[in-house]
Amino acid sequence: MKQNITTLAVVTILTLAGPALAPAAAQQERGSDPEHTLPLTWDRWLDHDEIGERMQLMAETWPEFLSLQSLGQSYGGREMWLMTINNPATGSELEKAGMFIEANVHGNEIQGAEVVLYTIWYLMENYDRIPDVRRMVDERVFYLLPSVNPDGRDYFLDGTGSGARTGHVPVDSDGDGLFDEDGPDDLNGNGVIEQIRKYVPGEGDFRISHDDPRIMEPVPPGEVGDWVLLGSEGLDNDGDGRVNEDPVGGYDPNRNYGSDWQPNYIQGGSMDYPFQLPEARAINDFMMTRPNIAGFQSFHNTGGMILRGPGMAWYGDYPAADIRVYDELGENGERILPYYNYYVIWQGLYTVHGGSIDWTNDGLGVVSFSNELWNGGQYFNSPLLQEQQQDPDSPISGQRSRFFFDDFLEFGDQYVEWAPFDHPVYGAVEMGGWKKLSGRVNPRFLSIELFHRNMAFTLYHADQMPLMTMGEASVERVGGDVWRVRVPIRNERLIPTVTARARENRIVRPDILSVEGNVEIITAGWVDDVHRPGPTQRIDQAELDRILIRSGAPGRTTRVIEYLVRGSGSLTVEYDSQKGGTVSTTVRLR
Amino acid sequence: MQRGRSLRPLALTLILAAAPAQAGAQSYWSHDELGDQLRSLANASDRATLTEIGSSMEGREIWMVTVAAPGGAPLESRPGLLVVGNLEGDHLLGSTLAVEAIRYLLAQDGQDEEVTRLLAESVVYVVPRLNTDGAEAFFAATRWDRTANARPVDDDNDGRTDEDGPDDLNGDGAITLMRVRDPAGAFMVHPDAPRLMKRADAAAGETGSYTLYWEGRDDDGDGFYNEDPPGGVDLNRNFQHAYPYWEADAGVHMVSEPESRALMDFVIAHGNIAAIVTYGHTDNLVTPPDARGALSEARALDLPAFAAASLEGIHDVGVFRSGGGGGFGFFGGGPRLRGAQPGRDNDPNAGRRPSTTVHRNDVDYFATVSEAYREVTGIESVGIHRAPQGAFFDYGYFQFGVPSFSTTGWGMPSAPAEEGEAGQARAAAGARGGRGSGSGPLDLQLLEGLEASGVEAFLDWTPYPHPTLGEVEIGGFLPYVTTNPAPEMLATLGEGQGRFLARLGGMLPRIRIVETDVTAHGGGVFTVEATIENAGYFPSALQHGVVARAVDPVLVQIQVDPEDIITGDDKSATVQRLEGSGTRHSFAWVIRGSAGDRVEIRLRSEKGGHDTVTVRLGGDR
Repeated sequence: MKQNITTLAVVTILTLAGPALAPAAAQQERGSDPEHTLPLTWDRWLDHDEIGERMQLMAETWPEFLSLQSLGQSYGGREMWLMTINNPATGSELEKAGMFIEANVHGNEIQGAEVVLYTIWYLMENYDRIPDVRRMVDERVFYLLPSVNPDGRDYFLDGTGSGARTGHVPVDSDGDGLFDEDGPDDLNGNGVIEQIRKYVPGEGDFRISHDDPRIMEPVPPGEVGDWVLLGSEGLDNDGDGRVNEDPVGGYDPNRNYGSDWQPNYIQGGSMDYPFQLPEARAINDFMMTRPNIAGFQSFHNTGGMILRGPGMAWYGDYPAADIRVYDELGENGERILPYYNYYVIWQGLYTVHGGSIDWTNDGLGVVSFSNELWNGGQYFNSPLLQEQQQDPDSPISGQRSRFFFDDFLEFGDQYVEWAPFDHPVYGAVEMGGWKKLSGRVNPRFLSIELFHRNMAFTLYHADQMPLMTMGEASVERVGGDVWRVRVPIRNERLIPTVTARARENRIVRPDILSVEGNVEIITAGWVDDVHRPGPTQRIDQAELDRILIRSGAPGRTTRVIEYLVRGSGSLTVEYDSQKGGTVSTTVRLR
Repeated sequence: MQRGRSLRPLALTLILAAAPAQAGAQSYWSHDELGDQLRSLANASDRATLTEIGSSMEGREIWMVTVAAPGGAPLESRPGLLVVGNLEGDHLLGSTLAVEAIRYLLAQDGQDEEVTRLLAESVVYVVPRLNTDGAEAFFAATRWDRTANARPVDDDNDGRTDEDGPDDLNGDGAITLMRVRDPAGAFMVHPDAPRLMKRADAAAGETGSYTLYWEGRDDDGDGFYNEDPPGGVDLNRNFQHAYPYWEADAGVHMVSEPESRALMDFVIAHGNIAAIVTYGHTDNLVTPPDARGALSEARALDLPAFAAASLEGIHDVGVFRSGGGGGFGFFGGGPRLRGAQPGRDNDPNAGRRPSTTVHRNDVDYFATVSEAYREVTGIESVGIHRAPQGAFFDYGYFQFGVPSFSTTGWGMPSAPAEEGEAGQARAAAGARGGRGSGSGPLDLQLLEGLEASGVEAFLDWTPYPHPTLGEVEIGGFLPYVTTNPAPEMLATLGEGQGRFLARLGGMLPRIRIVETDVTAHGGGVFTVEATIENAGYFPSALQHGVVARAVDPVLVQIQVDPEDIITGDDKSATVQRLEGSGTRHSFAWVIRGSAGDRVEIRLRSEKGGHDTVTVRLGGDR
């Protein structure tokens, strides 16, 4: 069924896109953009099947660069689609630094998936057109996973959306030996889990706000209200006398990773051991086979943040050398992403034990960020509005602002008005409240900006992954058949090949500087300053034809290696890093 | 014995009184032999079922024997006792003890009252050998104390995996140590025991003259000897409590190995497991946690530690701190760091850390079990005792929330001269921490004790011309002898463990509805009361089980519509923790009903069993 839909879609799109298949040279811009190869729209949220279809469509459209695979299945049996972008003409995948971009580990934090899809599409559409895009695609490899939690995503999008943060591995949340037996119920069948209020004249503790009848406010001390709130829409499904006490899942899929994992009583929702969840495990199994991954982004919502680890304060901050790298990326991120702040997780958000980016940083040696997409401040996009927000009498102060923008920008689409309902347990009540997309998900009309700016930040991050080059070697005869060979070795970009934390934890293979050729290496050393004479820093290792560099190549730094060799002919010097590629040069001794 | 590779006793001097001859273990078993043993036990009894919980890296089955009498309550609702052996590959003793304990339970069922009740009311899950691949190294042509599983690990992180293991230079089939005269060495011959070594104490005017290594060559020419042997991950360092992060032998992360994962998946699917016993290199049974809940200090041999010292600094090779210009001036002070500001954490719970000591309300339970253990097994002291890091039994208490134990499975062998009160006092002192490392009292005690009991335990230092180190001497403790007793002791030791399991099984919580009462108030209103009792010794949940939210509260549920309950307890009433030894708790519900109605009351204790009682609502007044 899905296959058929996909095929049809391909045919249709390719037909529509016919003119774009004409030679690129012929379509010089004439006051307008070139036609898109794949004219996709970006104004609706896609469920898991639609994401899969869109990814297949892109993979079929740009087969030279894109390969689609499933990392495995979610607990609910959904494929975990991963797109790899690699240009084989510029080298194989493992030779290039990899940028891994994932999203939607929390089922209700949906918009990151669209950012990931947009990124694939944007890079492919513009490869031939924008030189910087072409360079980044040629230099790097991208791994793009739109939804880490496809079960949660579909539960959010196709269901009521209530309690969709979790994954769907069953958990006995109320300790009665039964699993997921009592979740919320959409009693009136309108697709929304609403709040319940009951009219109890003179006996309640809430009243209807004078500012807006949709707002319930607690009565001041000494007064009585006419309303009580009775929680969210639901029933006692298992007849145990409790309502909605054991909904689907009941854990946090982003607390199941392997660094600073803590048991449930320290970190709620962590499950029983790290990588117990099939989704976290599938991602980690994949990343373990890709030591070239040097950058990682996990999109969440909400609040407008560019988060880095550590997730908790106990172990102290990262080594200073790593912080400097993060600071430069994060501070530029704040410029790329207005309304976003660059924070350390535990301080700017809250303490997280066992989160994904702590694992990728500490356990995989990958410079990692987690962006919290969408900041409500983006509604108040002018100094005038920001001022009005502070004025208690303004229609956009406090809770009213949410209604104001829903009324005037979404035309009331996100709110369900209070309406009478005959509840099987509570009798005559009223139900109403916000729909699932309101609050954490940006309004659709602001999507493109959110997608593009966040993509731009991850591309900047990707561009700063290590990239090794070798300068021109110099050879000098010391005497007889003894030669002095110098080779400059440079990491062109900001991120080191081995972060300081990776070296401490010994989780990234050291860089290896090796020599091949018919020579005997007498000594090897690093040149302190090429412009001044003086001894080199001697390398005291047993194997001088295979020098280990555990501290890696720092960012934007050139180091010069000097060998004293005896021999003739030529020798090849190779610098092999897992995260910055392998470079080599051949030197003739003459 | 015909393998010629089991331990070599010269004479039989057992620590324990000789037991009557029985068909127990006579030697250590390979994986295939272990499978035969388990199959024959399971085939001969309807009380033992053999299954697999998974398989090892190399594809060997991880066996599970379930021991329980058929009939009665479903197994998953009975209190469960989990036994795991041979987590460390070199601790073959553990697998033997597990099998012998099963043999004892099956033989005593219907004979011994404790055993009969254990199998009737509870269930015993036994994983005799978790590290099936590591244990197989015992039967290799060249033997060394291999604890790890078969996972290839780049121990020295040099980009080559398992490239430099030990080599049997002298061809005796055993990897021991090499000592090399070295003016810069840190070690010297022990003045009181010429076969042993000690670290020279400069403050006492001593000068080091030796460096020690594991027996072997520098296979990869990196300047280090035997720094990256085959395998692997030590499974008893791969679990979630006090996990030693980023140490090569602890796995890339917690529960990273197929073997540890198989065990964890079994455990979390069996919430009825109410106590855990493991056999391994750590003891908390002979010496229970102290009043503050802390375990006794580690007791490790010096000789292997001295050899390990030859690899110190290996991870500093290739760390360059300067060189090259450009960049940010990383090394000469750079721009201000925009790190987190301490003291500004916005999470009020951020300071909470996991418990690392046994809860004070639980300490007495450990002490009581320890007393029973020493009484039943006769084991009063331990030899080697490793500080647990990532150990499975610690997971069992600190995260799974049940009484959880580890024993080395045999006593400290004692020299004849030391027998009697003095010897016991010394052994007891040793078991409680003894002296620190340095002069090697444990090496000496163990060596003397083993030799006194007739075990060939030590290879005397013998000169050997080493290809790169020059003249060396090869010698030291033989593999496996310091952690596995002579085979002659196995049957007796195993029976002792069987008796202990029976005793421990009797302590599991056993919770039942013991009294019910119905009062009719007229007008269709009744009071229903139910009283539950824990007839076991352990509470329904240890205090830490409650703290860690690991154990469900005891749930007592009256099967009427929630709307029919007027007052009293909730329909689903709970008690967090019901103490043992006959402690009771009562529930009462005032309900609407009709005379003659039958009302069911259900009890669910995750660790203490299930029960159901039906009461009849009496006639109206």
